[in-house]
Amino acid sequence: MHGSEASAASVLFGLNPMWVAAILFAITYIVVMTEKVNRAIVSLLAAGLMIVLGVLNQEAAIRGIDFNTIGLLIGMMVIVAITRQSGVFQFLAIWSAKKVNANPWGILVMISLVTAITSAFLDNVTTVLLVVPVTLLITEELKVKPYPYLFSMIFASNIGGTATLIGDPPNIMIGSATGLTFNDFAYNLAPIILVIMAATLIPIYFIWGRHLKATPEDRQRVMQFNEHEAVTDPRLLKQCLGVIGLVIGGFVFAKALHLEAATVAMTGAALLLLLANLGRDAEHQSKHVLEAFNEVEWITIFFFVGLFIVVHGVDGTGLLKLLADKMLALTGGNLTATSMIILWSSAILSAIIDNIPFVATMIPLIKAMAPTFGGPEGLMPLWWALSLGACLGGNGTLIGASANLVVAGFAERAGQPIRFIQYTLLAFPIMLMSIAISMVYLYWRYL
Amino acid sequence: MNAKILMNPHPMTLRPSDTVATAADRILKHHLRHLPVVDAQGRYLGTFSIYSLLKLTLPKAVLDKYGLDNVSFITENIGDLAHRLDGRREDLVQDWLNIHEVAHPDTPAMEVMLLMLNGRTTSVPVVDKTSNRLEGIVSFWDVLEKLMGENA
Repeated sequence: MHGSEASAASVLFGLNPMWVAAILFAITYIVVMTEKVNRAIVSLLAAGLMIVLGVLNQEAAIRGIDFNTIGLLIGMMVIVAITRQSGVFQFLAIWSAKKVNANPWGILVMISLVTAITSAFLDNVTTVLLVVPVTLLITEELKVKPYPYLFSMIFASNIGGTATLIGDPPNIMIGSATGLTFNDFAYNLAPIILVIMAATLIPIYFIWGRHLKATPEDRQRVMQFNEHEAVTDPRLLKQCLGVIGLVIGGFVFAKALHLEAATVAMTGAALLLLLANLGRDAEHQSKHVLEAFNEVEWITIFFFVGLFIVVHGVDGTGLLKLLADKMLALTGGNLTATSMIILWSSAILSAIIDNIPFVATMIPLIKAMAPTFGGPEGLMPLWWALSLGACLGGNGTLIGASANLVVAGFAERAGQPIRFIQYTLLAFPIMLMSIAISMVYLYWRYL
Repeated sequence: MNAKILMNPHPMTLRPSDTVATAADRILKHHLRHLPVVDAQGRYLGTFSIYSLLKLTLPKAVLDKYGLDNVSFITENIGDLAHRLDGRREDLVQDWLNIHEVAHPDTPAMEVMLLMLNGRTTSVPVVDKTSNRLEGIVSFWDVLEKLMGENA
């Protein structure tokens, strides 16, 4: 495919398409990193320029958009938009806090687990948006510092998100581009994610956990919370849990049913919209459907659309193939060395830059390595290295993942700001530990 | 008619360094809903109101803009709420200000009334356009008295 699409369009002014694409691509990355211009604007503008300057034509650009990723993201966002109204996440957080008798360290562990498990199935940002407010309430009632809880939640959301196909955008992209299924992700990543989650709680225990204390009276106040009151709409809750069950079932059996992930998610979203709107008149239906659609993060979606076009443009010029060859030359075509380079570089880069454009770029680059490693099958360890590196790397700094920034926003408003340097000094080493565990795992299981 | 005619030019005010206890006393004693807060130069900084007191009574976590929209699972009694408010008696009013939309002396009466309606407030601070000095405060009661007086 390389080169053929590029020649379909004619490059303006006789410029070398590879250079035009490379420069546009570099500018996109830099401007996204500066955060001076909204990332959706940057990526759409760069995509437009790719076409206008003739690196690729519109037809090729549209082929570059991975609609499976887009559909899966939108479908899950709609499902979450409706589910969050049911109050189920507050219920889970309170219920889990009471299960450990409102013991401060116990609550930290439980809230981390709730965050990790929820993040594995839902968007990380949504998860923390729903769980942080209850956590802040609980820490306020217990008169303990919220910082350790928020720190753990950031880690839990990114670690949990790594475990499944739908947990984190990099996994969605990798799954969609390679045909790896929900089950593949669960089978290959979930076991090590459990280990990493447990290992992450160890330093957190020694730094903060063993010092967390609350008086019996304050604990009693949390024990008196009535979690059943948090569920605002029991009928909606049942509908949501039913549809989420069906959707996860759909993912698990996607291969046998010959379904793509986007079909499962979008159909699930449509079904939930139908159930939640049964019995409402046309006007109220429009209102509720619009509300659900408004909750879709369109900035992220359009960022993806633009980015897919930009990366496809770059890919079409053969630049990524060139980079892949350079990387293989560096590792001597050794699978172990290549996996380790991908794992560590993904982790460190994802801590600093947005992991979405990084993974979008790495996917065609890794695909180009297939001949060296005996076809697409041989690339498996590389995909897991990319996923583990890109998802877990997000923990390294406060800007490593969007969920981190959302948690930091809450902390700031609650008057307990999470400082960038203070966070990085602890988080970066803990992130490196998780990558070291991933390295041992990859080596032991695949290499 | 404009804000200058409608306003009370000598409203009761607070200083940013006043405590919540002082503010609560005045609100209770004079049955006022909104007390404008001004600095030493008389510049308007914000308003301490009965809503500030309500906020002080609730856990901080429920006040966040992305906070909990349903708190019926919290089973606190009036004693717990009073205890929380009591713990914040010595807080400074400057940390609990609401910033209201302000009017200027020449703002037309209808605009002032619209500010009240849209801001869900019963009083609008009137400040000087350039110095931001508080010139007075228009309360809903002042407006209503004037309106009823017209018909009498």
